[in-house]
Amino acid sequence: MQELCQRAVDAAVGAGASYADARVVTRRAQWIATRNGQVDGIEDQESAGVGVRVLVGGAWGFACDRRMTDEGARDTALRACAFARAAPGGHDRMLVPVEPSRGGYAPKVEQDPFSVSVADKIDLCLRAEAGMRHEDVHVTAAAVRALREHRFFVSSEGAAMEQELVECGGGIDAMAARDGVSQIRSYPSAHGGSSAQAGWEYVERLGLDREAPRVGEQAAALLRAERCPAGTTTVVIDAEQMQLQVHESVGHPTELDRVYGSEAAYAGTSFLKPGDLGSLRYGSEHMNITADPTTEGGLGTFGFDDEGVPAEREPIVEQGILRGFLSSRESAAQLGAGRGGSMRADGWTRMPLVRMTNLHLEPGQGTLEDLIAAVDEGVYLETNKSWSIDDKRLNFQFGTQIAWEIKGGELGRMLRDATYTGVTPLFWGSMDAVAGADEWRMQGLTNCGKGQPGQHAHVSHGASPARFRNVQIGVGA
Amino acid sequence: MSKALELAERALQAAQGDEVEAVVQTERSGIARFARSEVHQPTLIENEVVQLRIVRDGAVGTAAGNRIDEEGLRGVAARAGEAAANAPPDPDFPGLAAPAEYPKVEGFDEETAALGADDQARLAAVAISAAGDFELYGLYTSGVSEVAIASSTGVRASQAMTDVSVLALAAVDGASGYAERAGWAAGSVDPVAAAEESIAKAERTRGAQELQPRTYRAVLEPYALGELLQLFAYETFSGLSLLEERSYAAGRLGEQVFDEKVSINDDPLDPHGLPKAFDFEGTPKRRVALVENGVLRGAVWDRASAARAGGQESTGHAPPAALRRWGPLPFAVSMAGGDAASTDELVKVVADGIYVTRLHYLSSVHPREGVITGMTRDGTFRIRDGKIAEPLVNLRFTISVPEMLSDIPALARESALVNQSAFYDERYPYGALVPALATASFAVTGTGAAPGI
Repeated sequence: MQELCQRAVDAAVGAGASYADARVVTRRAQWIATRNGQVDGIEDQESAGVGVRVLVGGAWGFACDRRMTDEGARDTALRACAFARAAPGGHDRMLVPVEPSRGGYAPKVEQDPFSVSVADKIDLCLRAEAGMRHEDVHVTAAAVRALREHRFFVSSEGAAMEQELVECGGGIDAMAARDGVSQIRSYPSAHGGSSAQAGWEYVERLGLDREAPRVGEQAAALLRAERCPAGTTTVVIDAEQMQLQVHESVGHPTELDRVYGSEAAYAGTSFLKPGDLGSLRYGSEHMNITADPTTEGGLGTFGFDDEGVPAEREPIVEQGILRGFLSSRESAAQLGAGRGGSMRADGWTRMPLVRMTNLHLEPGQGTLEDLIAAVDEGVYLETNKSWSIDDKRLNFQFGTQIAWEIKGGELGRMLRDATYTGVTPLFWGSMDAVAGADEWRMQGLTNCGKGQPGQHAHVSHGASPARFRNVQIGVGA
Repeated sequence: MSKALELAERALQAAQGDEVEAVVQTERSGIARFARSEVHQPTLIENEVVQLRIVRDGAVGTAAGNRIDEEGLRGVAARAGEAAANAPPDPDFPGLAAPAEYPKVEGFDEETAALGADDQARLAAVAISAAGDFELYGLYTSGVSEVAIASSTGVRASQAMTDVSVLALAAVDGASGYAERAGWAAGSVDPVAAAEESIAKAERTRGAQELQPRTYRAVLEPYALGELLQLFAYETFSGLSLLEERSYAAGRLGEQVFDEKVSINDDPLDPHGLPKAFDFEGTPKRRVALVENGVLRGAVWDRASAARAGGQESTGHAPPAALRRWGPLPFAVSMAGGDAASTDELVKVVADGIYVTRLHYLSSVHPREGVITGMTRDGTFRIRDGKIAEPLVNLRFTISVPEMLSDIPALARESALVNQSAFYDERYPYGALVPALATASFAVTGTGAAPGI
């Protein structure tokens, strides 16, 4: 396959490209789901093709084709060059220099998720579903997934690499309804569960069937819970919702292409400016955020990004101060800082974009109980339900599936329909504690959308529960 | 016979089962995406995807691939067959669709199908050159896509579609305005008009003011209403969400819940939209009344959800494979217009309130209650004395859509097609056909940043 990439690159250079890279990607994705005790879907998708990106006269061009032949690779390269010529830019595009790498990457996998039979996967889902049954639970659902992707990359600068990514994961949902009230409870995460770059052992460790009874019971109990009141109070947020908080209010705004306006018309921009690097106070001194494409098991883990830049752990926020952006070679050159390393493409049909690698909130001290014990009055929020944030990533509003009142340092009654809202730097500035490493959890999501045409990114976030003061909760219609 | 249908036939022949269905999606498209008045992400896509659904002894398995030589098709068939062989029988599986007569629909334009990279780049440049002092962000895209279905039950269906969109965000620091045009014929999609509209809007947004959160009367442009209604329709008018009591419409069908001026259909046959003749199971498309004069009337169904409901039949709303897990979905939301000749007239009717051009990052807070949150952007204004007054910062809203639709002082006469596809996965163009609307209730719950880049 690297020969095919090389032919595409050679064709592009021969057609006048000052820079070219080619990626051949083969992907198999499997998704198995059950719902209410029946198989809901068994999908097994394969896709393969070549994508070629070129710089011609300072303009980018990208084309892709499913034909993995010399002719297909050459045609694709020429079409990419033609598109670049047809849409010339007004300035040169510089790429920050990177030593061309050659190498490979593969994650540590104990049991190939595709070696587990479909029947066994269905059985796991059905067992987990059975555990969620309750008279008020109308819908039980379980799903597992697996992915294997081979990526081959060659650039005109001499970089060449082969990487294999293996992912799997799963999740369960219980939906309860009664008297016009509908509630959902999920494990280990909402919106499709959690995945990792790992073998099937990851899914087994999730313990979907072990957690199922709690999930079903809580969904039913939420029907009788009081609605979360409105007000300004202290909130303690669980690790899973903190992961989403990091994703939306730190990950996306620190993507340097958004800072420079590349996503302005669709996903939006950022409240951050290039000059904020090293000086902007993002949050309290308890806030430490790291981008780490080397985290074992992370969905944002790789050996090299889709520009061939080697993976490296980098600080984004240190003790509340902005220390880094997620960047491409082009945006890093524009900033005059950084090395790229965050360019990722969704398969072979899409152009690489600046995407999050694994982005973590580093742990602090103590336990979740310690966080709660220091709250006279507040709420504890768990598991995302709804999420929305503005185009500059400032004003956000999140809802969680479940909450509990905190009174006198202890959890009290269960609450439903909890929401909280804030403005990014003010909110992070109000964080007065992060629980310690023993409470730190990493989960992987597969539904991060960006770009036009749209691209799904897979990324993991690690976080411990954290506490925030003076937060507005209970936002209603 | 089209090439896509020929491919579906070949895939059908490669598979064995009690019942077999082959669905082919093909795409040839170009997107000239621009930022700061330069194309920065130009993408050309060519792909053909085959999906096989195989039924054996009552069990169902599906697989897909884009290798379309004989070996590739046999591989897809083997994986689908293995999935079916490992699955327990599904007692609720209604079987594959029977052959049917398909409605004749518009939706394909030779001139649009012929557009290539040069044209897409040129038409993007046409929009950019109209931007004047503003920098333009957005895209020009055109594509030709085809869906073809062949099944062992005798279904033979194919439809080639063209689609065009131009999205224009005119922006500088502290000011931004948005406009778009969409359609299935390039001749009806004017990039200059979109750019000029976005600039005219942007020029009025400088010096945006804060606004006290509370419930306001409001005018929503089609861009805003289309996105809001699309999300509400996904969650409210899917037969599956109705069955599972997640929908606002659950237990309310037949009730007058909205203003009597509100009528909403899913109308895939309307040539003003992006017409479709059949769904991804080969069931003919039809117009489905969702709301008639404020009364909740129905939902959309695919074969599985209709069978589970009992007494229902598929309305032709099985989605593409990538979305099948969500159940049937309305892809052609269409809201009837009213009597107002223009948005200015709506502004006059509202008299005191806010004007909303476009929304951002919607999320369903309480689906059972139809509560949605999101932000306004790229053209939010105060309405005073029946006129558009000062520009506003972006606003956080958290609204009950049923409440918003329960008091509608007026609707614009003309509707606009608003693109609802973000071009994820295989290209499947769809949009909402909606007018501008005036409402007596739009709950602002917070404020965000000023418009602009």
